[in-house]
Formats: sequence, structure tokens, C-alpha cells
Amino acid sequence: MITPTISQDEIDAIYPQVADIIADALGCDEDEVKPNSSLINDLDAESIDFLDIVFRLEREFKVKIPRGKAVEEARGELSEEEFEQSGVVTDAGFEKIKGFMTEVPADRFSSPMKSAEIPKLFTTETFCKMVIREQQGA
Amino acid sequence: MQELTTMSNHFKAFSFVDQIHSDEIGVKIMGSYQIPARIDQFPLSLVAEAIGQLAAMSSMKAVDFQFRPVAGIAGAVDFTGVVKPGDTLELEATLSKADEESVNYDGIAKVNGEPVVVLHDSLGPMVPMLDFDDPSAVSARYDLLVGEGAEPGAFKGVPEFTYEKTGGERGASSEGKFTIPSEAPFFGDHFARNPVFPGTLLMNLNLKLALDLVSELEGEGIWEPVQMINVKLRDFMPPGETLDLQASVAEVSDHTAKVRVQTRKGKKRTSSAQVLLRRV
Repeated sequence: MITPTISQDEIDAIYPQVADIIADALGCDEDEVKPNSSLINDLDAESIDFLDIVFRLEREFKVKIPRGKAVEEARGELSEEEFEQSGVVTDAGFEKIKGFMTEVPADRFSSPMKSAEIPKLFTTETFCKMVIREQQGA
Repeated sequence: MQELTTMSNHFKAFSFVDQIHSDEIGVKIMGSYQIPARIDQFPLSLVAEAIGQLAAMSSMKAVDFQFRPVAGIAGAVDFTGVVKPGDTLELEATLSKADEESVNYDGIAKVNGEPVVVLHDSLGPMVPMLDFDDPSAVSARYDLLVGEGAEPGAFKGVPEFTYEKTGGERGASSEGKFTIPSEAPFFGDHFARNPVFPGTLLMNLNLKLALDLVSELEGEGIWEPVQMINVKLRDFMPPGETLDLQASVAEVSDHTAKVRVQTRKGKKRTSSAQVLLRRV
């Protein structure tokens, strides 16, 4: 469920704060926010909510999370052309995402996947990992 | 004819900065706005709009007018004073971010040196300027405000919007319906190429909904809004659209109340906020 560089302990350490921030931003109860909740599909998040959540996380954890960073990191060494073509994730890109977003249940990945649909995969733990990566990179 | 109407209202029907006194671009901006003396009222939500428009000017300058911010989020809006027609708003915004993605800022409006509205943790997503306005016209407006300033008095007021009550439980919750007018002068200014109902006018309607709800509570005194928190606009509201308004009392004591308000378009939640009120 986790990438080699981020331990479950690290995720667990910040999870309560991240879940609290997501619940506040979405105006829902904290117990509605689960580690693998899809923010868009399960919690009705919109793009403005993502902006809000990232803003709150940056302030809470004193990190900077650049826009599109998660997808950029998922892409890894693949070029943009190797990762997506005409708005659709390539087979190589699809495997990269699956390997990177190990916190997302496998049954939520379906190919072909449009690039614009990648945020639908984002879970509460995805945001935990974004924060931890930025903390590690700081 | 429609184009002429739009043009004649541009920078007049819903513009609340007359002068920019200083602009450390994308960092800090100060300006002022003279509320026309001949209008009936100037709601505090429009004071918040004035702060937002000032911050927008600095953020648009920072991205060379290729993008403009739209209303998104306010962490908190404090209502600390009152304004009246004829007052001059002293406006200030401190920006922590102004780029192609968003503008983040805190801001304050004062009258005679006393704070009347304070904005905390405001965040506006940036959208392509071409979709909403003419970049060269907005750039020229910025230059005018930095230079000689705009001629005061262009704003002629906005209608006092109200809602149709459709349900609720007395003193506990309220539901209403509001249809955005199909035409209004402010649509020519908000925005010139893409008219949408201003979020701050919705804010005013939500304040009214919350005040109407708490006025149903037992006890003596008059309720007044103190603060709105977690204000969020999730969607644009085009002319003619019908919105469902909802309010519910979340907490209440003898002299204070917290009311949750939200707006829906069908099943979709388009705005939300919490209103803190006190009884005086």
C-alpha cells in the first residue's frame, strides 16, 4: 500500500491533521473522511476544494505543494509525450500511475484513462504523501 | 445594443476601487474608494468586494493581465464596523501568492482609520483573462487607478435582493429560492465578457437568510453578523439561474449564534459558509 520511500508510520503520524483539514475544507464530518476516500467521488470535492486543501496543508505543515506536483512525480522519468497523448494516459503512463499511487485501491484504475480524470483517484492518503514528500524534499 | 450597454457599465456598475495609492506588485497594495453619497446603502459584503478588487488589481498586474482572479474562498470575513454612503474606504491587501494559479491575500477596509471589514486567508483561483475581460482594457484601468484615479460616483447601487421562503423549521432551519436576474447593470462589469452573479451579492443574501433565521429565536434584542467563516464559492452563477438557499442553526446561546448556510443548484452544492452572529 505504500511507496518504498514513505512508511505507513509516516502517513499515520500526519493522517489526523490531514483528515481534519480535508473535513474542514469540504464541510463534512471527520468520520466521513477515510484513508482511501476518493475526494471527488466519495466526498464531492471540486477543483476549488483541491486549491483550498493544498492551501491549508501548506500553511499547516509549512511546505509548498506546487500545482500538478503529484502527477509530475507519478510521471517520473517519462516525458510528457510518453505519459499522455491527446489527453489520454498512455499504457506506460498508466502503469506509472498505478505504481506510484499505491494508496489507491486497484479497482479504481481503469484504462484508458483521461489525464483530466487522474484527480478522481486522489484519496486522503494521497494528500498525506504529498505533504511527506515535500517535507522530505525540504 | 447589448454590447453598448455592457460597455457603458464596464468599470462603473460594479467597480469599487477609485485610486491605487501604492502597489508593491503581487505583495502589497493600498487604495481607496469613495462610496457615492446618493445611493441608498452600501452593504458590508460590497466592502469585502472592494478589498478583493484591490487585491485582484495587484495580482493581475503580477501576471501581466493574462489571468484574473475570481471569487473562491475566504477563511474569515470580520464585520467590525459600519459604512454609509459618502464614506471613503481606505483599502489594503497583503498578498502571499499571486501567480497563474491563484491569488492568496489578507485585506482590510477602514473608514476614518477604523476597520470595518477584515478579510483573512482569501484565495481566488486565476482564470484566463480573455474569457472574462479585455486584457488591454483592464491594464488601462490599472494605469488609470495608479495615476489620476477614476472619477468617483459611477456606482448607482444594486437592488436589494431577497429570496422566496420555501421551507424550514422555525428558529432551527430555513430554506429559500432565489432567481438571479437575467439582466442587471452589474453584469456589464462582472464580467464584461462573461457575466456572472457576484459572490459578494450572494454573501449578502446568505447574511439576510441567517439573520432572518436567528430572528425567529426566543429572546430580546437585534441580531447582527459578526463574522463569516469558511466562505467558499464552488461554481459560477450565470444570469437567470435559480438557486436553492439553505440555513441551519449550528450553535446558539443567549447572545450568539452560528448558522451554516449553503446554496445548491439541483444536487450540486455551489456555495457554503458559516455565519457568526450576536444579539445586541
